[in-house]
Amino acid sequence: MAQAGNTNESNIGARVAVVAAGVVSPLGVGLTETLQSLRNARDCVSPVTRFSVAQCRCKTAGQVPDNRLLAGQDEGRRSRRLHRSSHMMIHALKEVLTQEPHFKPELTIIGTTSGGMSYGERYYRSLRQPEDLRHAPTWIANYPAQKPVIDAQEIFGISAPCQVIANACASGTNAIGHAFECVRSGRYQRVLAGGYDALSEMVFVGFDSLQASTPDKCRPFDRHRTGMVLGEGAAILALENFAAAQERGAPVLAEIIGYGISTDNFHITQPNPSGIGPQQAMEGALQSAQVSAKEVDYINAHGTATVFNDAAEGKAISKLFNGVPVSSTKSMMGHSLGAAGAVEAVFCLLALQHQFLPSNINFTASDDDFDLNIVANEARPAVLHAVLSNSFGFGGTNASILMRSFKE
Amino acid sequence: MSLAIAGMGWITPLGSGVDSVWEQLLHGDEAFATTITEEFGDRSYSVFRVPESALKSAAHPRLRRASVISRFAAAAGLDALNAAGLKIDSHNAQRTALIFATSNGGVIYTKRFYRDVVSAGAQSASPLLFPETVFNAPASHLAAILGISGATYTLVGDGAIGLLAIKMAEDLMANEAIDYCLVVGAEEIDWLLCDAYRRWRLLRAAPPIEPFSKQNRGMILSEGAGAILVAREGPFIVECAHPGGYFARRAEAEETLKRILRDLSQGEIDLVVAGANGTFVDEAEYRALKAVVPNAFVYTAKPALGESVGAAGLWQVILAVQALRFAELPPVLHADPACSLRLPRSRTPVAKARRAMVLSCGLNQQAAGLCLAIR
Repeated sequence: MAQAGNTNESNIGARVAVVAAGVVSPLGVGLTETLQSLRNARDCVSPVTRFSVAQCRCKTAGQVPDNRLLAGQDEGRRSRRLHRSSHMMIHALKEVLTQEPHFKPELTIIGTTSGGMSYGERYYRSLRQPEDLRHAPTWIANYPAQKPVIDAQEIFGISAPCQVIANACASGTNAIGHAFECVRSGRYQRVLAGGYDALSEMVFVGFDSLQASTPDKCRPFDRHRTGMVLGEGAAILALENFAAAQERGAPVLAEIIGYGISTDNFHITQPNPSGIGPQQAMEGALQSAQVSAKEVDYINAHGTATVFNDAAEGKAISKLFNGVPVSSTKSMMGHSLGAAGAVEAVFCLLALQHQFLPSNINFTASDDDFDLNIVANEARPAVLHAVLSNSFGFGGTNASILMRSFKE
Repeated sequence: MSLAIAGMGWITPLGSGVDSVWEQLLHGDEAFATTITEEFGDRSYSVFRVPESALKSAAHPRLRRASVISRFAAAAGLDALNAAGLKIDSHNAQRTALIFATSNGGVIYTKRFYRDVVSAGAQSASPLLFPETVFNAPASHLAAILGISGATYTLVGDGAIGLLAIKMAEDLMANEAIDYCLVVGAEEIDWLLCDAYRRWRLLRAAPPIEPFSKQNRGMILSEGAGAILVAREGPFIVECAHPGGYFARRAEAEETLKRILRDLSQGEIDLVVAGANGTFVDEAEYRALKAVVPNAFVYTAKPALGESVGAAGLWQVILAVQALRFAELPPVLHADPACSLRLPRSRTPVAKARRAMVLSCGLNQQAAGLCLAIR
């Protein structure tokens, strides 16, 4: 398996602190609302309103309301032209900088799957009706995947170079994992990492065409699961060399201690049924952190609720871990694709800070194919020291990160 | 930490084979432009396409339904590995990372998929096409063909993305668990892209691309892939890959490029392979180069090969290595005679060249650079 960091005990590298975080998702705008939704196990999936889903099997998604997204943002012409992804990134970065106003990253690494796809859709549709093309340059200008990252940075005067990772649904976790490696290696002191994705018709229809999305509720790891629902959001973590953070008196919210990445060459849309890809990513994260599976207190699973993905991940978790509490928070807000790993990393951070297990809602019955300790339907208090977050994506890309509560 | 280049491969409108295309460039050859026509009107666009003969090595069952960008990436990636004599086996499958860089990704299948949705409704959406629309589809195919099972990343950006991918390779190889990193950049052409760049006033109706011209008449899009196998040992070293930067407005591109050039030009720079493509990029590069490395030779292959966006940075690195390797530069075609940069107007020996810089200014706000040296 690919362990992301040096595992030589004498050379594990620098400790990596999370010193700030920001999040926007269907569960809420900001950490406080998000925490409340997680604790209340809120179902934030609702009927899709952004485009017609009349011909789709699935009719629902986790959505961030526009009025929340645009609240408090500049109402100028330039701001109005920005893609929703940019607004989500601006919210997330603003929250980070509210906590750490002087955080100057040397690099920003962000995951996404589809950039400003809905502007691409509008542009393509408008080409069929040429009289509507007056906005085309704006749509094209705001379509590139790096644009929301640059928009957010520019607003807050951050000039760090941007890397945009598009590893499908693992993108957000890959971005955080790679950022972790960059700091741990000593090559960087401060890195912003996260992910974003906004709901788009094309992607929605795409998953529907694969029959991966469900007309039912999203029920990860349930015997009666029938598929995923989509979501959207953005999240950013500020990572810093632990010693540097302590030296300047920055609050350490948690540590990232391990990262594993693997590539499962089985099929472009399906995991190897054996679960070897997820298993290798999780093993890599454990080895990278030099911790044993027994030391993991909670797993935020990828858990899309598709039959094949959950089976592969469930088998891998069953094989490596013995009764560790597991939940997929996608049950509450849908799968936000490139944002998912980053949003779920923030959920893990909140779980560590507030010592609780986020729930896996809509759960009715265990699947006999794997033996998991599902945090069913309600959040639970728990003593958490180390938590694992998984993300797996199209193209057989698998990523896991391991976080730990801060210890002096 | 410096890295070495162990192998290179490219698929270009002038064909494949690093030395073969290089020889054509030395002779002043330029790609043949073809036209593609838009779907909803009768507007045509000149583009430089890859000849089908260049894709012989990309015949793999995994690519049967794949978009052409995946075939470009696979062909270039396989050539780079072959050039290095590296075979991926059970010993190095996890110790070899893959970074795939692109700007627009699988635009042909993306457009086709969405066209079906728009014209015939969501029920007509193809489950076969959708997975190929994902940015990391080419990386997935290439990893499967090569058997890479460790770290695989897809990076998305503008024309600077190829160099940013090499910077990422440098960061990845700080980890001793990785011995090699295959960096592949690729792009495919579609009329939709031509239309988009035209609306941004970046596209020219027909060749030539006139680099460093004050008129900024625009570029011609091209397609293909470039691949570089990064290792720890080899005759050509990546002395420094700059983390790059962004510019919020085009007028700020010059300052971003100057900063990159200053950071990279700590020693003497003999030649620069620039990204000049006939757009606003050229003036920004011109001013930055003139200010920071006024004595270096400046070469751009865009008039001969076109603007391949995601592949362009990798092509530039290959060109810089070839220039150092053979101590010669091809002519810069169609350059403004009044341009005061030190452009090779004909095939030009650069016998003492030891260090080369590659500079890339993208069309969507990103810029990057790196410094190469011959050991």
